Amino acid sequence: MAKVVILGAGIAGHTAAAHLRRQLSKEHEVLVVSPNRNYQWVPSNIWIGIGRMEPKDVIFPLEPLYKKKGIGYKQAKVSSFHPEGSDTEHKPFVRVEYVFGEQKGIQEDITYDYLINATGPKLAFDLTENLLPGTNKTYSVCTYDHAAHAWSGLKDLIGKLKNTNTTARILIGTGHPKATCQGAAFEYILNVEQELRRNKVREQVELTWISNEYKLGDFGMDGMLMRVSGKPMKSDELVEMVFADRGIKWILGAGVTKVEEGKAFYENLDGEFKTEEFDFAMLIPAFSGHGFKAYDKANKDITEKLFKGFMIVDADYSSKPYEDWTVQDWPETYQNPTYQNIFAPGIAFAPPHSISKPRKSKNGTDIFPSPPRTGMPSGITAKLVADNIIDSITTGSESRKHKGSLGNMGAACIASSGYGLLQGSGISITTFPIAPDYKKYPESGGRDLNKTIGALGLAGHWVKLSLHYAFIYKAKMKPFWWLIPE
Amino acid sequence: MAKKISRFEKFVMKNPFIQFYMFLYLNVKILSVVAHGHGGTR
Repeated sequence: MAKVVILGAGIAGHTAAAHLRRQLSKEHEVLVVSPNRNYQWVPSNIWIGIGRMEPKDVIFPLEPLYKKKGIGYKQAKVSSFHPEGSDTEHKPFVRVEYVFGEQKGIQEDITYDYLINATGPKLAFDLTENLLPGTNKTYSVCTYDHAAHAWSGLKDLIGKLKNTNTTARILIGTGHPKATCQGAAFEYILNVEQELRRNKVREQVELTWISNEYKLGDFGMDGMLMRVSGKPMKSDELVEMVFADRGIKWILGAGVTKVEEGKAFYENLDGEFKTEEFDFAMLIPAFSGHGFKAYDKANKDITEKLFKGFMIVDADYSSKPYEDWTVQDWPETYQNPTYQNIFAPGIAFAPPHSISKPRKSKNGTDIFPSPPRTGMPSGITAKLVADNIIDSITTGSESRKHKGSLGNMGAACIASSGYGLLQGSGISITTFPIAPDYKKYPESGGRDLNKTIGALGLAGHWVKLSLHYAFIYKAKMKPFWWLIPE
Repeated sequence: MAKKISRFEKFVMKNPFIQFYMFLYLNVKILSVVAHGHGGTR
């Protein structure tokens, strides 16, 4: 009998738990430890942020589902890792602290045979001075409650604009020099623009995109060359075309370092320190590791063996210049090299480096996007980790045959650019591979042009809406859920 | 200078009948790119 413990119940953790439970017999234990009560389908948060969906549309409680499916669940947060056990416990364990109910505050040591760390990122608002959702007129759409709060702020502003003849400034983008998740901010600015038009106040608003990207459409993926209507087009040209069509201004190479009431302070790549004023802002924070500690059997600190901010896996972390980066640097099995029964899929693994070219301002400040690992790659990497663990348990020998490097993995990014069954629109992008392979595809920006395409239009909205319903169906583990690919 | 989206392109982007076929195409394309598989690089 084996015990698999999964830390986190987001896209990666929940996907891993679902596949493990479906394929392992009941004699094996699958246990999820998460401080969150609900599963949330994060990609739809932007629609909560414009009031077109409610939090209840994107979440459901985890405990009843896990009880029904035979998955153990503890509403707790991990506080330390003990991969060698301790002087009193011979098995490896994690120390967790309950965060809800009668057991709140109580600590427990949970042993495991296999551990999946799917704790995702810490939303590091604290790395940008005064950046806190709901204060200083700044908001976030990173969680469903942040997004609901953002809609409340936006609704108030729209109401004010409707009742008066005043003007307003809206600023949307990244809130840290090394923030990632530009895609979510990109979706949000386009959805906000459509809602302003729908409410007939668009003419009163100056809408500005602010980002740490060197060029529009970088998305933390070094941009991409894609086929649009059969012709090659760069992602910066595509986004510039959309922004120009929507009357959206942009500020690039901007590292936001501080926020005050209605003001964002940023440094640009020219080394200038500037300020942008706003009446409403949605700024994506930096993502960081959770600051977990790890200890060996003698209680000696071994955090550096497990963590490098995020969790260390089978990547090549040697320091080398951008020109020497290859797809071989990226992990394939998401296994910790020191403790081989520990895995970190999704956002929890430490990337070997960024995907976008690193750039510094004239003052030496790093200003470039961190690599995105959200959504589809999180699900895919979680499933392959689960598959390797299932094979290892069922065959009795350690299996690592399931592999999935970002350098050999495709992804679809369906960016909503407006909500509505007939009035909606979306920008659909498929890309292969996620991390560009400049050696294999030297003529097309490191990507396969037959698999890297872009399309604009109403169909994109329908695809995103279909994915919303399909993935919530899948997450609820309804009949044949496993036929829906990650 | 940004490329402009022409009136014809806007018509295509908003036309539900044309977009229905685009919807089918996109689903097939996404499945072929994502579900086609993934692997290592070393």
